[in-house]
Amino acid sequence: MTTSEKTSSPSGFTSKLHLDKHISRRFNEELEQVRTLVMKMGELVEQQVNDGLSAVLNADATLAEQVIERDKKVNSMELEIDEYCTQILARRQPAASDLRLIVSVIKSITDLERMGDEAVKFGKNAIKLARGNFAEEEGARPLVELKHLGKHISETLNTALIAYAQMDTDAAYKIIENDNIIDEEFDNISRLLVTKMMENPREIKNALRVTWCARALERIGDHTTNLCEYIVYLVEGKDVRHGNMN
Amino acid sequence: MTNSIDNSPASSRNNSPMSHTEASTASSTTEKVALSLKKRHQKEKRFKSIGLFAVLFGFMLVVILIGDITSKALPAFHQHWVKLDVNYQSDWLSVDDSSTQQVLAKQLKSANYRKVLKNSVYQMFSTSTGKKLSRKEKRQLFKLFSTNAEFTIKDALIAAPNQLNKQVTVWVRLDDDVDSYLKEDFAVGEAGLRITKQQAMWLAQLATEARIESRFNVSFFTASDSREPELAGIKGALMGTLLTMFVTLLLSFPLGVAGALYLEEFAPKNRITDLIEININNLAAVPSIVFGLLGLAVIINLFGLPRSAPLVGGIVLTLMTLPTIIIASRAAIKAVPPSLREAALGLGASKMQVTFSHVLPQAMPGIITGAIIGIAQALGETAPLLMIGMVAFIVDVPTSIVDSSTVLPVQIFLWADSPERAFLAKTSAAILVLLTLLLVINVTATVLRSKFEKK
Amino acid sequence: MNTIDIKQNEPSQVELNQVELTQTVGNIYADDAKMSIRNANVHYGDKQAIHNVSLDLAKNQVTALIGPSGCGKSTFLRCLNRMNDTIDICRVTGQLMLDGEDIYAKELDPVLLRARVGMVFQKPNPFPKSIYDNVAYGARIHGLTNNKTELDEIVETSLQKAGLFNEVKDRLKDPGTGLSGGQQQRLCIARTIAVSPEVILMDEPASALDPIATAIIEELIDELKEKYTIAIVTHSMQQAARVSQHTAYFHMGKLVEMGKTEDIFTRPSHKLTENYITGRFG
Repeated sequence: MTTSEKTSSPSGFTSKLHLDKHISRRFNEELEQVRTLVMKMGELVEQQVNDGLSAVLNADATLAEQVIERDKKVNSMELEIDEYCTQILARRQPAASDLRLIVSVIKSITDLERMGDEAVKFGKNAIKLARGNFAEEEGARPLVELKHLGKHISETLNTALIAYAQMDTDAAYKIIENDNIIDEEFDNISRLLVTKMMENPREIKNALRVTWCARALERIGDHTTNLCEYIVYLVEGKDVRHGNMN
Repeated sequence: MTNSIDNSPASSRNNSPMSHTEASTASSTTEKVALSLKKRHQKEKRFKSIGLFAVLFGFMLVVILIGDITSKALPAFHQHWVKLDVNYQSDWLSVDDSSTQQVLAKQLKSANYRKVLKNSVYQMFSTSTGKKLSRKEKRQLFKLFSTNAEFTIKDALIAAPNQLNKQVTVWVRLDDDVDSYLKEDFAVGEAGLRITKQQAMWLAQLATEARIESRFNVSFFTASDSREPELAGIKGALMGTLLTMFVTLLLSFPLGVAGALYLEEFAPKNRITDLIEININNLAAVPSIVFGLLGLAVIINLFGLPRSAPLVGGIVLTLMTLPTIIIASRAAIKAVPPSLREAALGLGASKMQVTFSHVLPQAMPGIITGAIIGIAQALGETAPLLMIGMVAFIVDVPTSIVDSSTVLPVQIFLWADSPERAFLAKTSAAILVLLTLLLVINVTATVLRSKFEKK
Repeated sequence: MNTIDIKQNEPSQVELNQVELTQTVGNIYADDAKMSIRNANVHYGDKQAIHNVSLDLAKNQVTALIGPSGCGKSTFLRCLNRMNDTIDICRVTGQLMLDGEDIYAKELDPVLLRARVGMVFQKPNPFPKSIYDNVAYGARIHGLTNNKTELDEIVETSLQKAGLFNEVKDRLKDPGTGLSGGQQQRLCIARTIAVSPEVILMDEPASALDPIATAIIEELIDELKEKYTIAIVTHSMQQAARVSQHTAYFHMGKLVEMGKTEDIFTRPSHKLTENYITGRFG
């Protein structure tokens, strides 16, 4: 199931937060609009992450260029949503769930934008990797590991966005709990790449690039976790950041 | 005190003495309040009891007044009738019983009934006692019956002409002195006020023969004023009052309301309107007899309207009630919330529409109250009416507003001034009627008022 | 004071007086102005209540007038349908135009003007008549219809537009004063709509209502702006933020700032506006 299929239907989000129950119809519309914008941005960022990752794995410079170019769109979306949220705060004085929605949106888009930035890092590294032949010689093994981690991250991000669309806190809690798996995998890749670097010092540059990509993936994982924490805050009103699960 | 939960020991140490002083001032405040509270409650109690006393005192006075009047008025509502054996002898009547019926009927109308009455009465008493009555006795005996008695037997014969030359029993009124005597507790045959021993004996005789009967006094309500108390009624005065009030209401209500509406809603606020306002207020305080003089000088002498007429009385009373109605109406109009006016104006209603479809209906209960106060005042007014001749002795019941008439309060005044004992009860009875009229007007006003308020 | 050069935006189709706007910042002009006020001054006797106020009311939009108590916003609003005429000592000068027509022209009857520029007041003030008669009153006095069916229709559509019809359709003969506060205010709005005005002036229409009733009225205002041009005076800045597209901030009888609502509430240009909407001492 793709994210867009899940997120385009407003059922879970709207009904759980009663976004269509305001006396002011325009307020309903505005909140719905914010939701749609955030989901759109989420889809865009997800695509960026996936494309960036495949650009790195396939050393595809063209795709990498596209990813870098598309990041402008992500940035402009962040500005747009920010402005929109400011307007709502100024004009509607949202309270309770509405307030949590706006606050979580403002925070979420920051994380999404950072994810977008990480995707740009993929792109930049992919272009540089494409010039060498690291992938064919030394990098085969680490890239497989990277691919593995990337797949995991991509799936997690997808799940997180669906959870966001449906306000599914169970899924969100699961992702938050599984954050350490990503960290472990990142450690594995790091160790592997350190070994490679010691074996073949000429490839240190490329190996470092792969390390940065792995690092970026790990960062994306962290941002995804943050997203899930905002879901919990939005739905339950609980702040579960910094391991504060009670 | 709750915010003294503080982590720093320094601040908590600082807090404790402060809380102490606060507590001590608080307790002293409580003491002071408690001390003054007793005084305050006492004051309240004192005031309450004074108020209650005032209310009870007023109520007691009203009860005494009404009770006194009612007890005095009660005798006026019934009077004594006597059953006489009337002998319609044609020679006493001095009619020719052999003439045709038409001629006879005509003759019966102008026949000498007094002679029939006298002779019948003398016959009744001379046969019962068996001796001839002296002249003095005859006069005394005849005095027992109302002057109206001869007309009563006349009406009885005209109603049934075939009783000519027959002896018939007819109920006639007793004289007012006799009526008063019978209403008081005298022993049988005892002489009373204006009743001689002889008369008392005759009355006792009539009573034993069950010829005396006490009946409800219908004529009090159906007859006009009379010199004879047993015949005097209030119908004329009542009609005069109603006609006068009709004229007063017809003139003063529209004029008063129109004046109030103009002054409140339309008139510009300047010196002239201020002057008018002052004058209206002053007019309300002018002694009412002055209005009577005005009526006499202007309405009767200058305009030549008939004196003693309810029309003139109504106009004079209108002058008197107009300020009251205007002042009350203005207050009622002022009390209409301005938001209502704004609402109508905001919809594009013209000033006239605002005034008549919103302000007036809202002010109506207050205006009606004012009008009733004015009318009630007018209802009891005597002085100005004396000046325009409504004090005259008028026997006819007025049928239009230009007929001569008198009004209830003047009638009361006249009766109270009369020497006959029986008029004392009549006076009280007339007061009762006046009060009842007032009550009816007030109840009508209340009903009207609540009807307007409901809308 | 960073006065914006406003002359550039001046609409050309209406011939208006030159504006002296040393006191106002922001943009007072609307692209499509229903009412245009230029250099309006209002005096109560010797006291000047409004100083040189100029602004446009954009067609089919909501313009909120805000400001502290006694700043003249209500006085200004009442000038727009000549409600101040009822006060003897009140004198209005300047140009006040409705569709390019001077509303203070001698030949213009205020009754006609008030049929075009309706007003809703602070306190719900239904007439002490039935709900039906309340709504029908304006249509009746202006003779908008001759028969009962048309009048019924006007009453029904007006009540529907005011979002009240479903609540009162079974008791149109009941007195309007028996409704709840919010319903009464909607009845007053229905009564105003029934005359089919072009502009609706609202003088703190929700200040006497509870939050839910207020929200309903605000929603209603939002719907009404599709058909009418609305000017609303409000004590609640939040309300102005919620319902209006343009906001004008009055202070001591002067128009201090005017602009799009979102701008006024996120980045006001004038210090006084900033102080007022953030609840600081000015």
